[in-house]
Amino acid sequence: MPEILLGALFVASLWLTVECCLKRETKQSLEEASLIPFADDPEVAQRVERATGKVVKAVAPEEAKVGWMNLEM
Amino acid sequence: MSTVINNPAYNYKVVRQFVIATVFWGVVGMAMGVWIASQLVWPEMNLDLPWTTFGRLRPLHTSLVIFGFAGSAQFAASYYAVQRTCQVRLYSDTLAAFTFWGWQSVIVIMLVTLPLGYTTTKEYAEIEFSGAVWMAVVWVAYAIVFFTTVVQRKTKHIYVGNWFFGAFIVVIAMLHVVNHLSIPVDWFKSYPVYSGATDAMVQWWYGHNAVGFFLTTGFLGMMYYFVPKQVGRPVYSYRLSIVHFWALITLYIWAGPHHLHYTALPDWAQSLGMAMSLILLAPSWGGMINGMMTLSGAWHKLRSDPILRFLVLSLAFYGMSTFEGPMMAIKTVNALSHYTDWTIGHVHAGALGWVAMITFGATYHMVPKVFGREQMHSTPLINLHFWLATIGTVLYIASMWVNGITQGLMWRAINDDGTLTYSFVEALQASHPGFVVRFAGGVFFLSGMLLMAYNVWRTVRVADVRLAEREAQIA
Repeated sequence: MPEILLGALFVASLWLTVECCLKRETKQSLEEASLIPFADDPEVAQRVERATGKVVKAVAPEEAKVGWMNLEM
Repeated sequence: MSTVINNPAYNYKVVRQFVIATVFWGVVGMAMGVWIASQLVWPEMNLDLPWTTFGRLRPLHTSLVIFGFAGSAQFAASYYAVQRTCQVRLYSDTLAAFTFWGWQSVIVIMLVTLPLGYTTTKEYAEIEFSGAVWMAVVWVAYAIVFFTTVVQRKTKHIYVGNWFFGAFIVVIAMLHVVNHLSIPVDWFKSYPVYSGATDAMVQWWYGHNAVGFFLTTGFLGMMYYFVPKQVGRPVYSYRLSIVHFWALITLYIWAGPHHLHYTALPDWAQSLGMAMSLILLAPSWGGMINGMMTLSGAWHKLRSDPILRFLVLSLAFYGMSTFEGPMMAIKTVNALSHYTDWTIGHVHAGALGWVAMITFGATYHMVPKVFGREQMHSTPLINLHFWLATIGTVLYIASMWVNGITQGLMWRAINDDGTLTYSFVEALQASHPGFVVRFAGGVFFLSGMLLMAYNVWRTVRVADVRLAEREAQIA
């Protein structure tokens, strides 16, 4: 009996974790995430847009700083 | 396409360094493998020296290919992909450089100490105490660089490939530290804090997850970046990739006991390992199918793109070896396969077919970009490499299947009076043809690796700094 309960708990926690990860995601946000690898490569992004009809978004990053302290505090 | 084009360069220097290290350690580690394969065909190849015996060079071969080749490849791929998917430069050039030189020094420590006979005797964790501590320090630096880069990201999402790289970094740190807990008596001699069956269980908890996290999870991160990028299509199902991630990391960690079937390990633990290994088939194949289906509508690209062929074949081998693994974990199958060459064949289906092939694909993708070339020096050479690697892998695993089943059957055969039908030496003699074929397979695979080294060298030799800097811009 304890083994069955433990197994059920295991499956339930896996299910809950996945649900937690996905609950705020919409179809659009997942699509946006899947296009990230192309977002910094305009040539490839254009080809992907032509092939899939999806819009690839990119954001501008900040200037890199030299040395150890690149972290914005 | 809406892009905001701006400045900063990615840190490609460390990526370039790790790419070159990948090729270098690939050549050395695989040559070492071919050497020890030759020793099983011609025993005199051990040169009658203690430093070059099979027992010392075999751990060196596995350490060089796992930590030198595969490790450097994952450093390169994770540093490359995390910058590009987070659209931010790596955190701290200095710390990133430290991880490169630190990691190379770890490999050199292995290269020197293992032939000298300094070893913990734990498979894939042979590096002795002080080396292991240094390795942990480098790994912590890697974690700081990687996770701080993710924290600094300019994208809303953490791309799924980075989840896999992140899990690989965290879990490997945990496994390495727990398995290496020991009492040192010398710089290069220590005794584990565990004993008996507990020691064996901890070792195989580590050992299996070295495969699961060092040779699978990190490479899945690679797959989720490089396959879509090379195909020019987003991953087939992003939702499935998240389910794949959680299921894989939840299940893998429990499968280790299948390495200890029919030993002093409690029977319930063996059965747990078997059951978890069987369940593991689901996420493994979910990920494999997700990768394969990314080619939907672009299968024709396989005709002309050998880099994509490497990536797709690696997924095919991943699917094959993750089917074979759970089957071998079934106790009744394991009763035949354990301690035979079948296990060696299974490991190499994953190591050559999955790990090395996806590394080749990712490296051929990255090299022109980080060294400022339009493409690799020679596409026909990539194609030739592809066929040499494929033939080499097939020869290797087929010969080990035949050997493994032959050995298993001969060892188990008994006469009517209960005595053994065959002596161990008879089984060894029956394995000799398989050893020859395995050696030939290794030579094929190593030849492909040498072609790659030549192709990379010719590409790097004419590297264009201006083009590399342009590639290192966001857009």
